[in-house]
Amino acid sequence: MKQVNKYLRKSVWTGLLLVVIAAATLEATGLIQYYFSRKMLTEEARQRAESEMALARQKIESVMTTVETATENLSWTAGLILESPEYFFIPIRRMMETNDIIMDAALAFTDGFYPERGKWFEPLVARRGDGFEEMVLGSESHDYMTAEWFTKPILTGKGSWSEPYFDDIAGMTTVITYSVPLKDTTGAIVGVAAADITMEWLNALMGQIQLYPDSYGTIVNGNGTLLASPPETLKFANPLRYTSSVGDTGWSMSVVIPEESVFGGMKHINTLVLLLQLLGLAMIFLILRSAAKSQIRYQELNEKKQVMESELHIAHGIQMAMLPNIFPPFPERNDIDMFAFLDPAKEVGGDLYDFFIRNDKLYFCIGDVSGKGVPASLVMAVTRSLFRTVSAHERSPLHIVTNMNDSMSDTNEDTMFVTFFCGILDLLNGHLRYCNAGHNGPLLLGDTVRNLPVEPNIPLGIVSGAAFKEQEADLAYGEGIFLYTDGITEAEDKNHNMFGEERVKSVLAGGNGMAKDKLAKLKKAISDFVGGAVQSDDMTTVLIRYMNDRNPDTMERHLILHNDIQQIPQLAGFVEAIAQEKHLDQSLAMSLNLALEEVVTNVIMYAYPEGADGLVDIEAIIRKESIDFLVIDSGTPFDPTTVPAANIDAPAEDRPIGGLGIYLVKSIMDTVEYKRYEGKNILSMTKKI
Amino acid sequence: METKIYKEGDVTTVKFIGRLDTPAAQEVTKEIESVMDAASGTVIMDCSEMTYISSSGLRIFLSLRKAAATKGGEIIVKSISNDIRQVFMMTGFLNLFQIQD
Repeated sequence: MKQVNKYLRKSVWTGLLLVVIAAATLEATGLIQYYFSRKMLTEEARQRAESEMALARQKIESVMTTVETATENLSWTAGLILESPEYFFIPIRRMMETNDIIMDAALAFTDGFYPERGKWFEPLVARRGDGFEEMVLGSESHDYMTAEWFTKPILTGKGSWSEPYFDDIAGMTTVITYSVPLKDTTGAIVGVAAADITMEWLNALMGQIQLYPDSYGTIVNGNGTLLASPPETLKFANPLRYTSSVGDTGWSMSVVIPEESVFGGMKHINTLVLLLQLLGLAMIFLILRSAAKSQIRYQELNEKKQVMESELHIAHGIQMAMLPNIFPPFPERNDIDMFAFLDPAKEVGGDLYDFFIRNDKLYFCIGDVSGKGVPASLVMAVTRSLFRTVSAHERSPLHIVTNMNDSMSDTNEDTMFVTFFCGILDLLNGHLRYCNAGHNGPLLLGDTVRNLPVEPNIPLGIVSGAAFKEQEADLAYGEGIFLYTDGITEAEDKNHNMFGEERVKSVLAGGNGMAKDKLAKLKKAISDFVGGAVQSDDMTTVLIRYMNDRNPDTMERHLILHNDIQQIPQLAGFVEAIAQEKHLDQSLAMSLNLALEEVVTNVIMYAYPEGADGLVDIEAIIRKESIDFLVIDSGTPFDPTTVPAANIDAPAEDRPIGGLGIYLVKSIMDTVEYKRYEGKNILSMTKKI
Repeated sequence: METKIYKEGDVTTVKFIGRLDTPAAQEVTKEIESVMDAASGTVIMDCSEMTYISSSGLRIFLSLRKAAATKGGEIIVKSISNDIRQVFMMTGFLNLFQIQD
């Protein structure tokens, strides 16, 4: 659990870090993209502005060159006709006719060049709609000699463009003037030829520079005077401004582009990108949150698992407490040495063992419930308590097994079955009675380790009314019976090799070691064999060593018959075997056979209702000087000793057919007693030998 | 258990081979009905090869004995072993039958 918490904490941090990294990456991408987009858009704006300005510059230069050339031509022409000032209007007019752009043009002469005309002489042609107006200017009030357009060419001897100024003559508008020196044939400067152009075309031209919404162009001259700009310009914050010089005029042209016009689209895209980024981040957050939730669920599941594990642990405790687990179990007895262990594969298992002593007889069992885990352990608990309940009033393994099978088959709805082996060891004489129900056969530990012969029979809980066979054997002093479940022989190493019965036999063979030591040795051998492999099945063993060293002077034999008269001949073999072992003579054997037959026949014929299946138990306890027979049935209470004996002295005609049997029994046996005990008829009879 | 029945004139011989225990006696009871009818004559129960008898077997002997008594016949038990003689003795059958070696 600590590890899980650590892992959780770690993964929460990892998640946070992930979000931060993702956000940073997205933001960086956005920034880079913004930066490059901006750079690209700026570059694009610059290129567009440059090309637009180049175009405008061309137009301006073309206009100015035209005006300059025309003015220079006028100056030259006028220089040729200085003697005929009355003709000055002709070349001026022609010049204006061919150059629409020129609003007015004039010749202005130096102070008193034509004395007859006074101090000033300035013939001028002004455009008036589609026509022209000729006039001669120059007066006190219109003293051109102070105007820059006049003084500058004379001073410098070169043509030049004036500052813009308000022209009240030509068209009540702002104009600029190109003026060149006017020379006579000797090259002396006599005046100036000038042409005015309004700034409207330049304003119009600048207004055409509409690269972007609200962008505009401006022109300033070398003195920083604004020559042209659109009528209305807006103030922009951080506008883009591109400037270039216009030819050799000393003017510079600028294109002003509002930031919004260039980057507005990008800002929209940027907003969109930002929104997408936010969406992406939100998704990452949601994914992480759901991951965190599933981790929390995982944690909750883990907690549940922990609770379950602790419950299983408790269940395991309860289960183990059910089984006798204090060893040695019978410290007061020196006729038995036993040990057992149960190692469940999961916390609770389906294996069981049990044992107890009653009347110097050890009742014991081992079982293996099909399946594993909690369901198996429940069946195990039921099986174990059933064993206790049934064996409390049964004295033969066959009856115990049969009863248990019937009870379990009747109630078994989950088709779980139990392989089971049940035995009763008479501690007085080492006689072992046993009945198997589908369990693997135990081993007998004597000088060698050998298999106890067992009838396989079928496991408990499969078929109600199934027939089982009881068997018997005798244990000598020091001999043992080793019971186990298949978890022992089928314990696997990493390569799925099984431990196997041969290994069990070789580990248990030899020596007269205590049961506890032998099982410890076995456990270690299995653990060494298995190595690191996971235990796949419950492992259970019980080792019982018979340690009564008194020379047994009694022996027991058992026979169990069904209430079928055809089974009567089995009695002959039963008695014959006893007779041979005890060296009884033929006559006595026959008498004993006869007495038994009479009693058993009586039970078979009358104890159970017509058609009902019932059993008759026959126990023979052979002592040194006597033989006891016990005939036991679970039928209706009936005491055969109360049946009137036949009168053997009566004449044949008066002899009743019945009564002969019990008469024979009483004649043959030395004592005949009946008792009813725990729902059973028990007839015991003794014959001295 | 095997039973052989044969007639010579008015003498009927029933020979028992083996153990006359309860299930055997149930079998024999059916086979011996014809002998019951012939109980007016002499019936020889040949026990030379009978190894065992229980009360059920004895009842067959008693039934025959009764039938013979009413019909005026005669039952002879022949060649019984000592062990079976013992049983006959215990039950007083020795007094009811004519025993021949």
